[in-house]
Amino acid sequence: MTEPVVVSVTAALTIAKDKLRAASLRVAGEVTGFKPHSTYSAFYFQLKDDASVMDVTLWKNVYTSQGIELRDGMLVEMDGAFDVYTAKGRMSFMPRAIKVAGEGDLRAQVAARARKLEAEGLMSDERKKPLPEFPERIALVTSPNGAAVHDVLRTLARRYPVAEVLFYGTAVEGADVEHQIAAAIEAADAQSTQSAQDTADVILVVRGGGSFEDLLPFSSEEVARAIAAARTPIVAGIGHEPDHSIADMVADVRASTPTAAAEAVVPDREELRGVLRGFAMRIDLDVLLEQYTLRLDTLQQQLERALPGRLAHDSLTLDALAERMRRALPTRLARDEALLEATRARIQAIGPRLIQPALSRFSRAVAQLDALSPLEVLSRGYAAVFDAATNGVVDSVEKVTVGDDITVKVADGAITANVTDIQAATRKER
Amino acid sequence: MAEKQTFARGIEELEAIVRDLEGGKLELEESLARYERGVTLIKELQVTLETAQQKVTTLLGDVEPAPATGEEVLS
Repeated sequence: MTEPVVVSVTAALTIAKDKLRAASLRVAGEVTGFKPHSTYSAFYFQLKDDASVMDVTLWKNVYTSQGIELRDGMLVEMDGAFDVYTAKGRMSFMPRAIKVAGEGDLRAQVAARARKLEAEGLMSDERKKPLPEFPERIALVTSPNGAAVHDVLRTLARRYPVAEVLFYGTAVEGADVEHQIAAAIEAADAQSTQSAQDTADVILVVRGGGSFEDLLPFSSEEVARAIAAARTPIVAGIGHEPDHSIADMVADVRASTPTAAAEAVVPDREELRGVLRGFAMRIDLDVLLEQYTLRLDTLQQQLERALPGRLAHDSLTLDALAERMRRALPTRLARDEALLEATRARIQAIGPRLIQPALSRFSRAVAQLDALSPLEVLSRGYAAVFDAATNGVVDSVEKVTVGDDITVKVADGAITANVTDIQAATRKER
Repeated sequence: MAEKQTFARGIEELEAIVRDLEGGKLELEESLARYERGVTLIKELQVTLETAQQKVTTLLGDVEPAPATGEEVLS
């Protein structure tokens, strides 16, 4: 029995590397985890079958020379050999040539399931529920770890901290995880019977980016049906564009990422500041009072127009008379101060007599004014009717229609009434 | 009666106030009362918006702390 030779890790890996590189293989499998936009000189993804997965390192120049576009789920055959990255002790297959073997089974299954659920109407637009404009409680269904939950919480806190977040954590990867996700959605949708205090207004179902397989639970029938059955509107953000899942298609609103989903359910605080400023401008006190000033002006004009011509004429005469009196007295008195002094007693006696005719004309005119005043007319039991909407005088049946509100002004106030019937004075047409 | 003022209800009430005031059919006294209510509401909503702290209630599972960023890359 010979002692094995002791070698370093590097030497051991180098031995493995040489052996592996020597073995040319053609491997068939399904592409998974392929990202078409690599910033490195190679693409790193996996090839798998039902039982195993292997890492693949595909040089960019090899890829471009093949003239095919790889995507997850594709069945391919690769010619090449394994290589070992000695710094990490990692084994990776290095293809020299690739050819497409057919569409992956998983994708075909998901596509068939999507068609079936679509045929049932689970994705139809009529089913889509509108989102609340200002949600008070947002249920968040996602994994308690990973970046997605924090992306969502950060976005909600920045945009609309007013809302409360109800967190429903669930595993999103692993065996039978569909059941857990569906149960979390159902729990978030459960409407409380006692109060609305713990009922969500909207549900976010999100998951960070991952491979096609990682997102498969969100394409399960169980999750799709849980989303479709929910009474609460649901926004889904599963993976990152261009990933898509059946959950996205069944949800009321589909967002490209978890962050975009969060943005879709809440208003933006900055926009709300603008909305409130807008309200503040629209209920400006000056503008409000101006409205009333304008209304007063209009009323005054209406009143002036309503005064009968004769009254206006009398009022003018009265004004002229008063003016003549005001002018006449001082002129006459100033004519001779001496006379004024001498005749003060006489004038004191004459004065009233001099003014008396004018005064009595004045009081007659005032009496006439009173008699013609609309108020006086009202005090005799008549009423004036105005259109409540326009404030216009209703002096004809043609000024109102059934259903209009009218204001009936009587001597001591106003009555608001509603027109229920209109009868024109009897003429030949009736 | 001391029902919690929610943002949605506040905005709805403000919209109604603006509609009434712009409709110009209220008596002056009523207008002024609505104006005062509107100003109070705007202030309340502004305070809510600026001071609100997001409340997170965990009903299933626990949110784990944010992970350190950094991607493992084979190169």
